[in-house]
Amino acid sequence: MTTVLTMARQELVALRRERLPLVLLIVFVVMVSVSSLIGWLTNTTVSNVWQKTVEAGLTQAPNPFTDVSALYYARNTVIYLVLIGALMAIVVGVTSAMRDRKARTLDLVLSRPISVPAYLLGKLVGIGAWLAMILALVAVISWTSISVITGAALGPGESARLVAFYAVAWLLLQAFVTLGLLSGIYSARETTALLVPISIWSVVAFVLPQIGTSANPVSLLNPVPSVIVPGGAFDTLNTVLSPLSVTEEFKTASGLILGNPEVTGSLPLSLFVIVLAFAVGAIVLLATNRDRIRGALRD
Amino acid sequence: MTSTLVIARKELLDLRRNRFLLAILGFVLVAVVISVVVSATQFGTKLDDYNTYLDALRAAGSTTTPAAPQLFPLQLLRGSIEYLEILGALFAIVMGYGTIAKEKQRATLQLIYSRPISRYSLAAGKLLALAVAWLIAVAVIFGAVTATVAIVGHATFAPIDVQRLLVAAATAWAYLLMWSALALGLASSARRLSTALIVALVLWLTVVLIIPQIGDTMDPDNQVPGGLFKSLQIAKPDEQAVLANFAGFDSVRNGLEVSSITKHYERFTFAVLGIKDQYNQQPLAAVWTGTWNNAVSMWLAALLAAAFAIFTTTRRKLLRRTT
Repeated sequence: MTTVLTMARQELVALRRERLPLVLLIVFVVMVSVSSLIGWLTNTTVSNVWQKTVEAGLTQAPNPFTDVSALYYARNTVIYLVLIGALMAIVVGVTSAMRDRKARTLDLVLSRPISVPAYLLGKLVGIGAWLAMILALVAVISWTSISVITGAALGPGESARLVAFYAVAWLLLQAFVTLGLLSGIYSARETTALLVPISIWSVVAFVLPQIGTSANPVSLLNPVPSVIVPGGAFDTLNTVLSPLSVTEEFKTASGLILGNPEVTGSLPLSLFVIVLAFAVGAIVLLATNRDRIRGALRD
Repeated sequence: MTSTLVIARKELLDLRRNRFLLAILGFVLVAVVISVVVSATQFGTKLDDYNTYLDALRAAGSTTTPAAPQLFPLQLLRGSIEYLEILGALFAIVMGYGTIAKEKQRATLQLIYSRPISRYSLAAGKLLALAVAWLIAVAVIFGAVTATVAIVGHATFAPIDVQRLLVAAATAWAYLLMWSALALGLASSARRLSTALIVALVLWLTVVLIIPQIGDTMDPDNQVPGGLFKSLQIAKPDEQAVLANFAGFDSVRNGLEVSSITKHYERFTFAVLGIKDQYNQQPLAAVWTGTWNNAVSMWLAALLAAAFAIFTTTRRKLLRRTT
């Protein structure tokens, strides 16, 4: 246990010094910070558009945002987690696995009484703690900005929902961290190590949902999961492929937790898929053998 | 000139031997073809629904015949174009970065510069090779998607459609070459290769994903599933009259979108292929009148990226001590 904690502490120190994760972290925190503001600005404009149409006698439909929860302003954070957060998690995983290989310190580390699973678990725990701190920070930013926008502090129920949302986000990011770590261990080149998980991310975030729902790639940048096209082969394809699209499951889980009325689906199923993705990644990672993690780099 | 061609030939040979690059280009090819198949299948489903509805109407004794869904083959390319703007740009960065990174990692630059090559030969040669490589890749991609539209979508192409496809392919080539040239320039000018990769990835994330996403999010019509104005049951002329009251907000939103070169590429290509309804079945001259600013911005950005690559890939920059 001590070795795992030592590795985790070393990981935290190393992450503080890395530049690529730091740059992505800054982009991520800035985007999450402004997302509530963008959401508020847009919602205000939509309400004003509705007001104008009512005044002109063009519609009798109710304001689409009359009964939305205060947490609706956090909905854009979902997409920044899927885009920037997932890429940041991949980069952190790859960088972590590559660090010891590039510095050729792995043999030295493994000459100490430390098992390979403990070494890898330490990395996973360290990165997990780093991500937890970041998500705690953005949760505080979200809570504060939503409270300022709505003019009242979020109540205990809404605060709990926000915490639950960031907890699920942590699980999703940890799944991408394991993907990055595995790629960093198995790849012979740094560029390959970075591009393989990014390609897998693009398959999960774009290709699989498109096959199942026929949604175009850019519309998948919407925080709401794509709507299934009824009939034809899409029903069957969606049944088979939707559990593999972890990012769409995350959108469903987030929408349900944040109380987004546009989102429908099963929260337990979505949570199960996200937990399963993390668990499978962690099991495969911890089963990696000594020879594999000592593999030489080609560049 | 000769040294430029020698460098270009060697670069093309390296690109051809790089199995990883071939694999990622294959991946883009598979993604764009899948996208066309999905779009064609969706149209087929829509047609089946229409026929079922028509049969039900006839069985009920109705004589009215509702308008059948019409296939515009080039509209099936929407997803493919979006894949090129997202994934194509990412892989273009990797290609451009790789051309300089491999020389730095193998320490072959000293050897290259020990030969009598002119000041800009290395940059021009590598850029020429990337231009040829992307020309081949874009030709293969557009050939594959066109064939897929014809086979899966059962579509036929008029001569004007072929012209539209050629314009779209040329624009895609310039867009992808722009990202490769930018990454090449960054890899040459940065003291550390990792810095170049960081800057290129952050630029990709910001320009390709974040800015267009914010623009889409700020569009009032995107705030309600199916569209705000449809949900309010407002006709198009009334919609425009209402939106005229929010010109300031829309200017900010549009200004944000046009700060992304990806959006220029998308707007011009969508107009040329008739994916945007406003330009569907319009002559190319009318499309040009409406979107020439997007096309010019796109090509200007590509030229600037190429100039950046050429002027930063110099002996002084490449041979300076790295950290």
